[in-house]
Amino acid sequence: MGQHVCTWAIFSHDMSRKIETHHHVARLNEDFCQCAVYDSDESNARLIGVEYVISEKLFESLPDEEKQLWHSHFYEIKEGLWFNPGVPELVQQQELKSLAKTYGKFWCTWQFDRGDRLPLGPPALMMSPQQVEPGRIPDEMVKTRDAKYDISTSNRAVKRETSIEGPASFHPLSDRWMTTGKGWAVDLKEVPIALGGSTPLATLDAAQPHP
Amino acid sequence: MGAKAIQSLKPIKRIHAHLCAFHFYAHDMNRQVEAHHYCTHYNQDMRQCLIYDSPEKNARLIGVEYIVSEKLFQGLPDEEKKLWHTHEYEVKGGILFMPGVPKVAENKELDEVAKTYGKVFHFWQYDRGDALPLGLPQLMMSFTEDGQLNPNLASSVEKRFGVSFKENAEGRKHITGPSMGIHPSSNPWLKGIGLKPELREVDLKEKL
Repeated sequence: MGQHVCTWAIFSHDMSRKIETHHHVARLNEDFCQCAVYDSDESNARLIGVEYVISEKLFESLPDEEKQLWHSHFYEIKEGLWFNPGVPELVQQQELKSLAKTYGKFWCTWQFDRGDRLPLGPPALMMSPQQVEPGRIPDEMVKTRDAKYDISTSNRAVKRETSIEGPASFHPLSDRWMTTGKGWAVDLKEVPIALGGSTPLATLDAAQPHP
Repeated sequence: MGAKAIQSLKPIKRIHAHLCAFHFYAHDMNRQVEAHHYCTHYNQDMRQCLIYDSPEKNARLIGVEYIVSEKLFQGLPDEEKKLWHTHEYEVKGGILFMPGVPKVAENKELDEVAKTYGKVFHFWQYDRGDALPLGLPQLMMSFTEDGQLNPNLASSVEKRFGVSFKENAEGRKHITGPSMGIHPSSNPWLKGIGLKPELREVDLKEKL
């Protein structure tokens, strides 16, 4: 039904901001997963966004412009950053081998890490941990996470080095910041609203006056 | 399976309500979609909802909605308020409903919802034929009076779920909206203002 994955994500428009994420992953078919993303696995967790995970095959089929919004997963999986709390590594291995070759698109709707007590503004595009800065996850963050789950990410990485393969090649358009040194931000622009045929602007009621 | 038994999926387990409603794109009212909300109470003033295109097992996860009390909404900066919409009409007009829930329980829940404000983004424009979630996140809005919801879409939902929006509305006459009235900064489209996403490239900081 669903997997619980714990990993990290990085804000595309400000890669100094890295957050631990908890994904509830639902696999729809062999090429596609959709994830509800939370900031913790506690019952009072904030729902902070949605991530879509697709196979190499599906990623190749995307228009080039679209590809630039996506990120690869191999690095975070092989480094053990991405793991399933409470699930023995062996049980997870088949799925991980498949996920290691996937690409993700993650919109974050609640920037709690900057102190927002409510979800403010438009969604932010997220990127994935990578080998080079600013894609690395600080040691202290990994240590804190490891202590909470009583695990060792570095031991996990050693095991995965030999058991998990990445994609044959990395598409230059994904993880775009690695090539361009630039990120993406989304703004909401005011435009005239296109209305239904039966609702001409002239008949729109003004909103109730605010006392 | 072993994994399911061990895994802690507390946030998902807390989903307490399924609401069916309609959204339209904040820059284009002609594009209207059915939206199935699966909601959890984050706290007594806020619900957080996963939005699917259907209640079926293979439903697409198309978006996220946050639903807040009037009190929380009042505290938002004015610039933020315009990203939000009201629920009063959807409830009183009968077009927002809880599939399979008996009327008494449904109306009790919706009595609360009618006073709330919502903020919803969709990530998957399946209504334009996208087989994958392409493009930018789309701000969505909801209806404020009779005659806005496409009648074909309305009757399709009524038939599939065995409900009558007119009957729903009849039973909800006692329900009231926000106690302070609808805030003029919400539902910006009522003033002809649409909101459309745009992508902007930003330079990353050199050092961290």
